[in-house]
Amino acid sequence: MPAKAINIILNLAVFVLAWVISFPMNEWFSATMPRHQLLQLPAMLLLGIIAGLRSLKHITISFPWDIAILIFIMASLVFWMLPRSIDAAVIYPAFNRVMHLNMLAAGFLGITVIRQTIFEIKIAFMAMVSVMVFVAGITLITFNILLCSSFNIDQQKETGFRLIIAGIVFATGTLFTFFRSLGKKI
Amino acid sequence: MKRVLIPVVALTICFTVIWKWTLGFSAFTVFSYTLQQAGTLPRTFPDLAMISQDKEVFHLKDKHKYVLLNFVYLNCPYVCHKVNNQLERIYHLFDSATVPSRLEFVTVSFDLGNDDVTKIKKYREYFGTDIPGWTFALPYQTNQQAFDTFLHHIGIWKYTVPATGIINHSLYLYLIGPDNKIVRVFDPARENDNSVYEQINLCLQKQSI
Repeated sequence: MPAKAINIILNLAVFVLAWVISFPMNEWFSATMPRHQLLQLPAMLLLGIIAGLRSLKHITISFPWDIAILIFIMASLVFWMLPRSIDAAVIYPAFNRVMHLNMLAAGFLGITVIRQTIFEIKIAFMAMVSVMVFVAGITLITFNILLCSSFNIDQQKETGFRLIIAGIVFATGTLFTFFRSLGKKI
Repeated sequence: MKRVLIPVVALTICFTVIWKWTLGFSAFTVFSYTLQQAGTLPRTFPDLAMISQDKEVFHLKDKHKYVLLNFVYLNCPYVCHKVNNQLERIYHLFDSATVPSRLEFVTVSFDLGNDDVTKIKKYREYFGTDIPGWTFALPYQTNQQAFDTFLHHIGIWKYTVPATGIINHSLYLYLIGPDNKIVRVFDPARENDNSVYEQINLCLQKQSI
């Protein structure tokens, strides 16, 4: 099958999945905090990454733009982890769809930049994301008061615990990438 | 120059969006955001007719003394009762020379659909029979929309979870002065009984001077 046809099928699949997550399944994903923060948000990011893997394969992003894109991705992750943003996303489905588009764009552009950028920036970015996810988890675990009015304290703690695990897993992946890349350089 | 400018512009835009969204990195939750949006202290407490457990209609502005006000709903599974237990401890820190002559406690239910005067009267009895100056009340002749607007104006966030019917809301305690102005807002999750007591006492002392 020609590469162009594979691209079209892949992008169509991404589009259909994004639509399913964003529309018919949105209520289910918004019902609990772990589903919203640990399934819906990463799913959109992942779909963006899948779309970006092939679509932007031959596009080169120049040095200042890749830094700008990484800043945009970091800020997007911070923004959608804020309790106020989570509440707004759950209460107003239209606002939640802004998050979906944002995450799709972050994944789509992010994978292209990560593949092209220099080793040091790649590792620094991955380390920052790991720490951010870990700290978000610690915050949710530590606070004994409800931070998001759309959920309950048990869901908040559960999300926090799983974010800590996700942070550790991501940090391990970063270390693995670091040593593998270092090995190649040597 | 361009190499620096593009990331700096991106950083500035992202920083500004988050800055605006959190009111200058000071309001990260809907609770703190709603409170800050309501305005700075001291500010006038909007008028609302209330009905007490003894079926007496009253307005806070007519009390002309300090009032410590909080909001609860009786079907709350946990936190409202915890806050009322804290309020009970604070109530008992004051002597009879202060409460009710100079300071009153008012606990208002915002579950207009389920709570009524009989229920709040019964609920009040859980805190003792001899608690003069602690009124349990309901909004009087107010519909849900008007009451929600009132809550928003004073800085209380309230959201009913559709699946469970549980009302998640701000827990703040409002200290309203004799001139009907909100002078202090306490967060019971962050401040202990003595801290609230001392701050109220400070206001009472200032009034005496």
